[in-house]
Formats: sequence, C-alpha cells, structure tokens
Amino acid sequence: MTASTPVAEPTGGAGSVPSPRAGGSLRAFVKGGGLVRWTGRTGALIPVLALGFILAVLVVEAIPAIRYNGLHFFTKSIWDEGTGYNSRIVTTNGVKHLTGADYGALPEIAGTLITSAIALIVGVPISIGAALFIVERLPRRLANGVGIFLELLAGIPSVIIGLWGALTFGPFIAHHITPVIARNMPDVPVLDFFRGSTGNGEGELTSGLILAIMIIPIVAATSRDLIRQVPILPREGAVALGMSDAQTARKVTLPWVGAGIVGAVVLGLARALGETMAVAMTCGVALGAVSSNIYGTMTTIAATIVTYLDTAFLDGSGFAVRTIAELALILMVITLAVNVAARLMTRRVSGTPLPIGAGF
Amino acid sequence: MSTAADPASSPEASAERTASIAPTVTAAAQQPYDDSAVALSAVDLTLSFGQHTILSNITADIRRGAVTALIGPTGSGKTTLLRTFNRMNDKVSGYRHDGDVLIDGRSIWHPGLELTSLRRRVGMLFQRPNPFPMSILDNVVAGVRAHKMAGKPAMKSIAEQHLTEVGLWAAVKDRLKDSPFRLSGGQQQLLCLARALAIQPDVLLLDEPTSSLDPNATESIEALVRTLVPDITVVIVTHNLAQAVRIADRTIFLNKGRLVEHGPTKQLFENPAEEETANYVGGRFG
Repeated sequence: MTASTPVAEPTGGAGSVPSPRAGGSLRAFVKGGGLVRWTGRTGALIPVLALGFILAVLVVEAIPAIRYNGLHFFTKSIWDEGTGYNSRIVTTNGVKHLTGADYGALPEIAGTLITSAIALIVGVPISIGAALFIVERLPRRLANGVGIFLELLAGIPSVIIGLWGALTFGPFIAHHITPVIARNMPDVPVLDFFRGSTGNGEGELTSGLILAIMIIPIVAATSRDLIRQVPILPREGAVALGMSDAQTARKVTLPWVGAGIVGAVVLGLARALGETMAVAMTCGVALGAVSSNIYGTMTTIAATIVTYLDTAFLDGSGFAVRTIAELALILMVITLAVNVAARLMTRRVSGTPLPIGAGF
Repeated sequence: MSTAADPASSPEASAERTASIAPTVTAAAQQPYDDSAVALSAVDLTLSFGQHTILSNITADIRRGAVTALIGPTGSGKTTLLRTFNRMNDKVSGYRHDGDVLIDGRSIWHPGLELTSLRRRVGMLFQRPNPFPMSILDNVVAGVRAHKMAGKPAMKSIAEQHLTEVGLWAAVKDRLKDSPFRLSGGQQQLLCLARALAIQPDVLLLDEPTSSLDPNATESIEALVRTLVPDITVVIVTHNLAQAVRIADRTIFLNKGRLVEHGPTKQLFENPAEEETANYVGGRFG
C-alpha cells in the first residue's frame, strides 16, 4: 500500500522494452503499469470506504434517536410520532422531538426476522432440491432451459412480485389454504401460532412465502452451479457403495460444496432481510403491533422505512427521520451479523478440506 | 500375505487348482447356474450406448473365490463390462442391453433384487481414489451406515478392523477424525478399499485400481487383492499385462467388444488358443 515509487519497479517492462519516446512522466507512469496499479488500489479501497461511510452517516443520524428511544425501542410495540395538531417541539436531553413522541420497533424487528425465517424454511429445501434435480436428473438441454427460467425469475422486479402477491397470491391462500390449516391446527404451544383469524391475505405468511419465491432463484441457481462442480468420481463411489440418491446427495454431493451452499443461503437471507417493496405491498404495514398468529398483518424494518418515510419528513423536529435512521442501523447490523455468522459457519462446514491441490 | 509376497507363483498354483475343478470355460458354462463355483455370469450380453455397440454377445462365468482379470486394448469394452456387473451403466444416456448377467444364478436386473442391495454385494474400487468429504473414520463406515449394517457403538471397531485389513491402521489411528484428502494417493486408495470391504461384499470389482499410484502403493494393493480370495470374488480391469499375470487366476481377453478368450491366466499368456490373443499378449498390438 505504501509503494510511493510506482515507476521504479526492478523487473518491469521498462528494461526489456526500451521506449525511446518515453519522455513525459505521465507516459512513463502509464507504460510502467502505474495506472493499472493505482486504479486497482483505488478500486479495492472503494468497498471499504463505502461501507465505512454508510455506517458512519447512519450512526451520526441515529444517535439522537438512540438516546431518546433508549432500550425500550427494542421491546415496545408502538409507533407514535407525536400528539397531532397540538404537538410542539420540545427538547429532552438535548434531543428535539414532538411532544408525546413514542417509538418501539419490536414489530419491525420481529417481522423482519419471522418473514426471513419463513422464507428460508420454505425456500432453501426447495432450492437445493431443485438444484440437485436439475443437475442430476434433467438432461443437459432441458437443464439449461430450466436454468434460463430461474434466471428470469430472479430478474423480475420486486414490485411486480409484490403486486401479484397482493392481488392474487395473498387472497388465494387466505381463502383456500390458510383457513383449512388454521381450523385443523391443535391448540398447543407453538402450533397455536398457526390458529385463529386468517385475515384477507395481507400478513406474515404471505410476505414470508413471497420472500421464499424471491430467494428460490438466487439460492437454486447458485447451488446448481456449485453442485455441477462436484466431481463425478466421489459421487460414483457413493452410488457404487449402494447409497441411495438421497444418501449420496446428503453425504457426498452437498458436503463437497457445503461452504458454498451456506454462502448461497446467506445470499438468499440477505435478500430476504432487505427486501422492501414486495413485503411492503403484502404485509399490511402494521406499525404498532406484533401479530398474534402467522396470518396477521405485520411489518418489517424495510417496509416501515419505505412506507413511513414520507410521514417522517413532516415531523418538524426531524426526530421521526432520526428514528428511521436508527431502524436502518438495526437492519444494517442484522445483515452484517448474518454475514459474519455465515463466515464462521463456512469455516466450520469446510472443516474437512477438499482435495484442492492435494495432487493425486 | 505369503502368497502375495511371491506373486509369480500364486496365479500358477491357483490356476492349477481351479483348472482341476472345471478344466475349460465351456464346461463351466454348461453347468447349472446354481453351481457354487460361479459367482457372476454374463449370458449372451450385448450392450450399447445409442448407436455404439460396446459389448457383443459376451458369455463368461466368473469363478467364485478367484481373481479374474479383464484385459484388452483401449475401447475393448472391459470397463463397460465391469461396470455392468454392479449396474453402474444403467443411467448412461442411450444405454440398452440384451442378454443377461446373473449373480448366484439370478438376474441382476430382476425386479426383486434391489439395486442398493446388489451394490452392497458387488463392491467397486475406481481408477483414482475417491474418498468422501468426511473424516477418515466416517469414510470407512459410510457404507455400513448407509445399509444400517451395525449400530453406532460398533462403528469404531468396524473401522479399525477394516483399516487393519488393508494395512492402514497404524498410519491413521491417531488421525481418524482428519480429512482423508491429506493422505497420500496410495493411502487414499487403501482407504477406499477398506470402505468397500466394510460392507462385506461377495464380489469386488476393481477398475484399474493402481493406474494412478506409484510402484510401492501398487504393490501393496496387489498384495492385498491376493489376500481377499477366496472369501471374495475379484474382477479386475487392467491395462498392465504384467499385473494380470501377477495377481489373476483367470483372465478374460476382450477386443472390440467381443470376448476373444477366457481361461487360466498362465494358459492364456503362455499358450493362447486364439491368434488374436497371442498377438495382444505378445505386444504386437493394443
């Protein structure tokens, strides 16, 4: 990083390719490879700087909200920017806000985690099963055709999926599927989360399933590419040992690319956590309450930010926007934590090193 | 190990022994299929992938408890024949077969014979070592687990037994939880052999098992193969004629998908009945 003399490389092209016209220092800089080197260094720094900058801005914006909202922000279910027409701007502990401003983001945080969990629980097995099926069962030409559809599905704008979810998919499951489930679920802890009123199709389950549909192409396409890289020999070894297809997949094929599969799942989870529009259109945006069952209206961090931002700008004290920033910071921390956890898991999964460079 | 230590004498001795049971292939083929001397038999087997006919009208009885080598030039169909015995070809696109392969007198394609149980009885070792991405211990017992042949507490002792059998126990006993990919190529192949032996197969198919190994590792695999008979019937595909002479009791010579000659190894190499065989084993083609 501290190479201050980019031209003075000991073994460059300078000696082997004598250039009589290389007079200007700029030309020497370009010809000696300095331009490429410095472009590369700058390019490598940009992601680091960008992440740092975004985090810094979010923290600065959110600090007043963190001070006023306190720890209750994580435990309360309320979203109140102030007392309507009678509101005045007051200052508490140096933080300007409207009288009666009271925020608790439990519904947002819970909603984000629950919908993402639904998406993973439903989406990941389907994705990996589909990837295995495409690689191992479909003839090559058909597999390529299906692959094109996967990539098309990944490219559909989320607003279109959201519209379909709000107009077609949500009402359909609310009228034909969820009432049957809700009626037949026993009234015991955990399972009673699936009982009760099934609503009109806007809510947790619809959003979670929409997210599942959105992560399937990402996870499936990535897994498919990984599974294709598994060499035939260990797979044949498993088959020749009398393992069933399922055992071969579970014991040999998937562990061979285990670290990559975890990466694919995290890619999907990151999409699910941050997905905004499709969720905002199908969740019902219930800012102040956590749903009592899986069918009820809810909200996520991303959906709250996008739907509430307009209103927040009307808050003359600016406090609502700062609360939005705090919300965004939480989402950012969750996303980063998921990535770090994935890295740790990847290290554990790949505990059995693969024969890269083992040279047999 | 004593027979294997002197590889030149063992095929000869076994050849004489087996010759006294059934002097010619034709005579063995005429015996009923429940004859306990025959482990596997191909009956007029013709096999093709799409337009390409790989094997034509192969009829051969694989003697139980003996090592049978499949030799022939590249493209003669020896690996395809070997992989037919545990039905590894079935899913190749365009696969089609006529005729039959019998194991203990019963068709390997019989609907009542489950594919997984056929493969438990007919094990296989490949051209290159192919350990699974799991610990050394788990590799050895992978098949035992898949077929639920033993409970959890027995796994360690099963692994020890078979690693000892292939002579790998001393080298790996302190690193059973380690990755198999850190082992040398020869050790990996021995591990794969231990894995194949752990499910107690009746027949072991070896597809050029030493082609990627150095001479020392080759020698230890060959020595091991000799110790497997007569408990296990071994069929080995090899490009290495000297290897066939060293370890095989009987040899089948294939050329262009036809079975040219099948007989005791010594006879086939020293006094072949067919001119084609004489040309091949004499190094005049192939």
